[in-house]
Amino acid sequence: MPVQASVIAYIPYMLDGLKMTFLLVGGGLGIGFLIGVPIAIGQVYGPKELKAALDAYVWFFRGTPLLVLLFLFYWGVFPALGLNLNAVLTSALVLGMRSGAYQSQIFRGAITSVPEGQYMAARSLGMGKWQAVLSIIVPQALRIAIPGWSNEYAIILKDSAICFVLGVMEMLNRTRYVMISTGEALLPFIFAGITYIFLTYGGVKVFDIIYERYKIPGLLVRG
Amino acid sequence: MADVVLKVEDIHKSYGKLEVLKGIFFELKRGETKVIAGPSGAGKSTLLRCINLLTKPDKGRVWLENVELTDPKVNINKLRARIGFVFQHFNLFMHLTAIENVMIGPIKVLKLPKEEARRRAEEALLRVHITEDLWNKYPAQLSGGQQQRVAIARALAMNPVIILYDEPTSALDPELVGEVLQVMKELATQKVTSLVVTHEIGFAISVADELMFMYGGKIIEKGPPREVVYNPKHEATKKFFANIARLYGKQGA
Repeated sequence: MPVQASVIAYIPYMLDGLKMTFLLVGGGLGIGFLIGVPIAIGQVYGPKELKAALDAYVWFFRGTPLLVLLFLFYWGVFPALGLNLNAVLTSALVLGMRSGAYQSQIFRGAITSVPEGQYMAARSLGMGKWQAVLSIIVPQALRIAIPGWSNEYAIILKDSAICFVLGVMEMLNRTRYVMISTGEALLPFIFAGITYIFLTYGGVKVFDIIYERYKIPGLLVRG
Repeated sequence: MADVVLKVEDIHKSYGKLEVLKGIFFELKRGETKVIAGPSGAGKSTLLRCINLLTKPDKGRVWLENVELTDPKVNINKLRARIGFVFQHFNLFMHLTAIENVMIGPIKVLKLPKEEARRRAEEALLRVHITEDLWNKYPAQLSGGQQQRVAIARALAMNPVIILYDEPTSALDPELVGEVLQVMKELATQKVTSLVVTHEIGFAISVADELMFMYGGKIIEKGPPREVVYNPKHEATKKFFANIARLYGKQGA
């Protein structure tokens, strides 16, 4: 069988790895959102001590290579905490904690771009500080942040490939297996690369649709 | 003093070395409209913000219907809900439609049921001549004059004891000033207690019970608007109204 044909025969096997890729990206973005939004709110409106702690968190996860984080948590932190987490769960959590750090900065920028007058108007109606933040500032900031999240998706999608080092059978890892078993590198990796381009494009389009769905006339957006 | 709605006593405020307010005293009775005028930097906006404590005064006291707002023990949010505030730049909530802007205070602060808040909002919007076709527009889809009228409705829907206006027409294109002033005049005639920082002398003369002139952090002159405008005592007051007359021509209403 010619090499090309044998690579083609492996395509379903490679694409099956997308399930894992989606799990990592979805988990990472979701966990990152749940962590990132409260961090941003705390960084902008919280007391000084909380801000310092959140800053430390953000700097740690933004300042450390993903590879280091994966090894650290898989072989170091989680076992030390008595947690016996498998490679997939560890990867999703690490991607999520790291994305949370980045997403917090996306969302923080969005919060601070909401004009001060919005907060003043809310307080002048008699809203308390947190009521004003949650019912006036956050709904606007969430919309402003959508283009930033689209970008974060594009990044985390490709970062998910690095999780192959823990043995997670996502698409890149399967592509590597195809290379090993067929002896052919060029075609499988070209295929994998193109697949990532399509996924990036498709995902960004999804964010565009979300943006269109929730956009409000006149609300400032920096793309 | 039963009918005194707002009393301001010896308000001081500094920003660093800059003393913006140097002891302000005045009061408003129910139904009165008073205008504060003065050159920019006189401390007019700071004074308004000190009244509803959006800015904390360094010294002095403010009473709203016999309750002291400056008392640290009071729930300032509860009291602020009873003071309407209209901003120079409208500050409508950008993510809410016109009617939602007016409903959100009654819902979130007064905890009214949605239907009740809606009824109040409709009533307030009609009072400022915002017709039904505009209720579901977002602020950015409205003209400046319409936005400011929605902002006035937002204040009205809270059934405030008093409305504070902070230069409500100075961010508007000239052709839009009239519709906002008209609404403010109507409210003043309906005895909605109002304290208005403005340079609109015509407004002051036609509806205000008193004009207070601020200069250098103090009220240096006050009296019937016509008196203060046409027969000012202080040099600064004379100069100010002469300048306005030169800029706008004959300014009588």
